[in-house]
Amino acid sequence: MARIELNGVAKRWGEAVAVEPTDLLIEEGEFVAILGPSGCGKSTTLFMLAGIYAPSEGEIRFGGSVVNEVEAKDRNVGIVFQSYALYPHMTALENIRFPLRFKGVAKEEAERRAEAMADLVQVRELLGRKPSEMSGGQQQRVALARALVKEPQLLLLDEPLSNLDATLRLSMRSEIRRLQRRLGVTTILVTHDQIEATTMADRIICMSKGRIEQVGTADDLYSRPASLFVAGFIGSPPINLIEGEVAEGMWRCGDTALPCAARPGRTVLGVRPEAVRLGGGPVPAHVEEVEPHGRESIYLLETPLGQLRAVEPGAAARFKAGEQTGIAFETGLFFDAATGRRLDTSLEQAA
Amino acid sequence: MADVALPAAAAPADHWAAMAARSRRRRQWTTIFLYGFLAVASLPVIVPYLWLFTLAFSARGGTDTAVLWRALLVLGPALLAFAMLGHSIDEPRRLRHALLVLLLVTVAALAVVIGPQLHLANWRFLWNPDFSDALKTGPTGVGSQFPNVWVAFGNSLALALAVTAIVVTVSTLAGYYLSRFAFPGRAGFLKSLLVLHAFPAMTLIIPIFFLMHWAGLLDSILGVVLVVCTLELPFAIFIMKGFFDAVPWDIEMSAMTDGASRRQAFLHVVLPQVKFGMLAIGIFAFLRGWEDYVFVRTLLIDKQNWVMSLYLFYVAEDVMGVDYGIVTAVGVLYVLPALVLYTFTQKYLTQMTVGGIKG
Repeated sequence: MARIELNGVAKRWGEAVAVEPTDLLIEEGEFVAILGPSGCGKSTTLFMLAGIYAPSEGEIRFGGSVVNEVEAKDRNVGIVFQSYALYPHMTALENIRFPLRFKGVAKEEAERRAEAMADLVQVRELLGRKPSEMSGGQQQRVALARALVKEPQLLLLDEPLSNLDATLRLSMRSEIRRLQRRLGVTTILVTHDQIEATTMADRIICMSKGRIEQVGTADDLYSRPASLFVAGFIGSPPINLIEGEVAEGMWRCGDTALPCAARPGRTVLGVRPEAVRLGGGPVPAHVEEVEPHGRESIYLLETPLGQLRAVEPGAAARFKAGEQTGIAFETGLFFDAATGRRLDTSLEQAA
Repeated sequence: MADVALPAAAAPADHWAAMAARSRRRRQWTTIFLYGFLAVASLPVIVPYLWLFTLAFSARGGTDTAVLWRALLVLGPALLAFAMLGHSIDEPRRLRHALLVLLLVTVAALAVVIGPQLHLANWRFLWNPDFSDALKTGPTGVGSQFPNVWVAFGNSLALALAVTAIVVTVSTLAGYYLSRFAFPGRAGFLKSLLVLHAFPAMTLIIPIFFLMHWAGLLDSILGVVLVVCTLELPFAIFIMKGFFDAVPWDIEMSAMTDGASRRQAFLHVVLPQVKFGMLAIGIFAFLRGWEDYVFVRTLLIDKQNWVMSLYLFYVAEDVMGVDYGIVTAVGVLYVLPALVLYTFTQKYLTQMTVGGIKG
């Protein structure tokens, strides 16, 4: 286990910047998720930590020592790839045992440890099978066992759940989390799925275009997003973003005016769908569509402010498609339209 | 939209039966036509081989076809019966029994029809290097020119195996490097591989001769090995690169984070994924070395350096009258290793397309 530090680490491929200079600190035993859309540099960061890519600048520290020049094979890092990357010509047992053969572990000892690890991830009865004879979930467990058998100081998970079906994903999520707590291994999960990140990780690092947008807990990212990008990326259905103008302490868009303490200028109002109150309010709304989701109903509304989404708990929708109603915003966040940064002031009133 | 409706009329029940019968008939005719076409088309391929084999065991100097036609008279119906048995019997045990009976009947029929004509005298070259002396007069006859056939066989084997070893080793390493590493001139190198493969090697035969002469490799098997390898390598490298391209990066990266060095990852993880490619390349290289005639004819002189193709040439070349019995027997000996190799490995050779086409 080790404390992981990134000091100004960047990666460039020729002219293209994959990761801009980044500082990051991950505590010993912590479970951190790197969340972002594809191409945001999250996998590149992961591969730099594993030692597969060398950073173009900056330094990576494991437990205080710089490891930039240390080869992948000597870093003692376990990776679970999105494709699992099991060795096709080896059985599950041989796969799990593979990392130990380069550590000079005696064969019986390696066998024993591989079997113990197989017990831990519940693949004991599959040890004789080849990867092609296993289901996706089983391969995933074997890959996890292979990454953990060498007792790594850092466990890296590269989109480990994206090839599993929905039910399996749910159970693997809690299982990986349980394993991580039990073994106490420092873990970094790379994912584009916000649910995965928020449910599994202690802290989430939200990345976009090679830059860290925000680091924080799930609640930080949801309730206090640092930027328009984070606000838009986190939350499903997504936040409603309405661009307006602030002047004389009021935010205006069309006929709608709301109190706002921000400096005058172009300002974006962000309202979470659950903060949109239906049934009476100053903004007229036309219900375009209703999606019943069982636990909640999602409304697609046509308003003078543009198309908005609203969520109400309960399966029975209070309004039907085609109906006319009024809406009000219970809470909202303000963002600078030019920089995308969130402003200090927020909407805290029932209009 | 509402006025679009499908006609509800369905065919009466007896129409269905008629259509089913028609479909059955059409399938039958298609099968018959297909098998008939394939049988006729494969005749020009099979008959020469059969002729070669029958002559080797029955000819007495000439190229008599009587044995061939008689053998065909038995084998033709036997093949037909084989195909029909395979079609009509589903249960494996009964099928095995039926095929065994068919085999016994065929062998018995062959024994009766062509058995009396068979003899092994054409194979005397195997133990008697001076086999032609019986035909020619005295020790100055052509027969005494021949080396022991096993020397030629051994030379051929050495040539083919050396070509195989070199081509497989070099093309595997080069293919891996081309597939995984970026280096200046990589694209040009890949293109030139294809150009080199398409280049007609015969046009180089005179320069190659001089090159070998200056290098002191004329009249040596090693020289031929080098030439054949050089001509075989471009395509082999290209094919191996295709196989390596199909191996995912992930498992290699995974091996390296699992503590393997790049070389260990290559040996333990990547190489096992391309073993069928190596096998295919190896077999083609072996056959190429085994079959070569032009370069051995040009570069080898001493009869102790003869390979099988040269041996066959000189046996067939005899101006004093050719003994086709011996020619065909040598031919059978020459073709046998290639046939055996091909029969047992063809299922791997067909995998060439899997990895090879991707380029």
